[in-house]
Amino acid sequence: MRRHPWLALTAGFGGLLLLMAAAQLGALFMIDNLRDSGTQVQRRFLERSRTLEQIRSSIYLSGTVARDSLLAPAASASSQLAEVNRLHQQTDEALDKYQKSIEPEESAAFANLRSEIEAYWRVLDRTFAWSDAERMEYRYQFFYSELIPRRTTMLQIADRVGQLNEQALLRGDQQFSGRFEQLRLGLIGMTVLTLIGGLTLAVNTSVLILRLQNEVHTRLNENIEAKTSLRELSAKLVRAHEEERRALSRELHDEAGQSFSAILLEAENLLDEPHRDSVRPHLESIRGMAERGLAAARNLALLLRPSMLDDFGLVPALNWQARELAKRTGLRVQVSAAELSASLPEEHKTCIYRVVQEALNNVAKHAQASTAQVTLTLRNEGFIDLTVQDDGSGFDSARVRGLGLLGMEERVHHLGGEFVVDSQPGLGTRLKVNLPYADLAAAAAAATNGVHDTNTDFAGRRS
Amino acid sequence: MECMTPIRILLADDHNLLRDGLRLLLERQPGFAVVAEAGDGREALRLAEQHRPDVAVMDIAMPLLNGIDATKRIADTCAPTSVIILSMHHDESYIVRALNAGARGYLLKDSLKADLIGAVKAVSQGHSYFSPQIRALLQEDYFREMSDKHKTDSFELLTAREREILQLAAEGKSNKDVAQLLNLSQYTVETHRAHILQKLNLHTVPELILYAVRKGIIH
Repeated sequence: MRRHPWLALTAGFGGLLLLMAAAQLGALFMIDNLRDSGTQVQRRFLERSRTLEQIRSSIYLSGTVARDSLLAPAASASSQLAEVNRLHQQTDEALDKYQKSIEPEESAAFANLRSEIEAYWRVLDRTFAWSDAERMEYRYQFFYSELIPRRTTMLQIADRVGQLNEQALLRGDQQFSGRFEQLRLGLIGMTVLTLIGGLTLAVNTSVLILRLQNEVHTRLNENIEAKTSLRELSAKLVRAHEEERRALSRELHDEAGQSFSAILLEAENLLDEPHRDSVRPHLESIRGMAERGLAAARNLALLLRPSMLDDFGLVPALNWQARELAKRTGLRVQVSAAELSASLPEEHKTCIYRVVQEALNNVAKHAQASTAQVTLTLRNEGFIDLTVQDDGSGFDSARVRGLGLLGMEERVHHLGGEFVVDSQPGLGTRLKVNLPYADLAAAAAAATNGVHDTNTDFAGRRS
Repeated sequence: MECMTPIRILLADDHNLLRDGLRLLLERQPGFAVVAEAGDGREALRLAEQHRPDVAVMDIAMPLLNGIDATKRIADTCAPTSVIILSMHHDESYIVRALNAGARGYLLKDSLKADLIGAVKAVSQGHSYFSPQIRALLQEDYFREMSDKHKTDSFELLTAREREILQLAAEGKSNKDVAQLLNLSQYTVETHRAHILQKLNLHTVPELILYAVRKGIIH
């Protein structure tokens, strides 16, 4: 069922439908059958009744004819004999006909009837062979003691056979109602069977569907979990990366930078002392190298992560970034973020700084712009809006999606924010970010305190 | 004059080698005396309170208490001590904060020897002092900002007398000193000063100093 649910379903539904069709057809067939056999029983009963009636009337008539011939003058006897013979033959035919459809229950009675009738005909035949004298002498005696009792007996037997025939009809009726009962039971059985089959199928199908649904649900959850953990991992990586940059930046600034400063100072102190001329160029070379080392350490540290971001907060860092870019490339960058404070959560600070950095670098590299505007606003609904807009050449933002943009987008999505780049060739570029900001009250309070009180968090820089 | 009573100096830097170098440099100078050395901000504060030096030479990045906060505390509690910040940072945000905290000088570690002696002398006499690179940087930023925003220079709004007073005030002179120097009443000087701050949209003495540096009015 797990591997081939379609097979199980086809078998189940097909079986159920076949069962129902078979039940219907069977019922139809049985009803037809029943109707046929009922008609047959009735027809046979009527036919036999008619035959018996014929036998009975032939015997009656023959008796009457015999009586008439006994009473009548001899001259008419021959025509009466012919009449009796006709009746005899008719009776025989009726008997033969009846014999064909005889039931086992009535065979004894029927045989009895038949022998009685045979004997009757024999007795009757004998009277026609009499002379007139014999007729005159025996006719009354024969009539009352022979003919009438015989006829009465025969008619009684015929009645019994008739009764038996009626019994046969009754039996047919019983058989009919028996078969009807059978049909009823059969139908009930089929219905019960169909119900059980249907129920089983329904239960199985429900179980299957529930199981499938469960499975889908589990898979979906797994998928969501996998995505979440992937996203968490990526966020962790970004954090770790940033932390590393911060540590490296500090190390470069504090250790390497200070050491170069010390070397520089030592060299200068030595240069003040009286030396042989051969030493002086070496000292000057040392001083030059220390100066270059100091500048390199400082620049590298700033490149990795500007110390203002940790020492004073986001806005001073953004201003520095803007000044640096202006010095390096001539791009005019305006930063307006008056009401923003330094008390943003660390991750928000870093995210905004990195997004602005990347965006401004893109502007400087690709946009051929003369000015760029960075705007940061704190919206009341708990969002920070960031816009970076330039007046450069723009690009098709629907088609171009560089690694830098993807990186920015990823950072923004980690914090549950939205990231939109809107640009068209010739119309400049506008990058919009909005980040949800949970601690709105704290932000508002910090904003009213102003930007001056921001140098509290760099006491621990070297700890 | 300074040969009679030496300038008493406090050195605060967590980097021992650098501190030794600085001490060597300063003590070679006649009339200079290094009276104390501190390896962190708290120690600097304690020693400043204890020795009341004329000048404190202070690094920004120090453990326990950073140089800018230490400067603020020293400026608040040790009245005669003028602070010179010694830093690797050459960004405006650090300079502005150092000035706001009460520092009178800001030197880059790139050019210590050339600047330090002059800075200690200037600051001990109540003047401000900035490394030439710092001055250049501040002026450059100022001009770029002006041209970016197409602003007219508010300096043009000042009268000759106001410019004179601006320079003296930025050099660290009190209203009383300015009044004496220019032979004016102290009240007149105060009025001029209020006008200057209003015209230039400035609010504090550090802002005034920063403005003067940016404009190249003082060194």
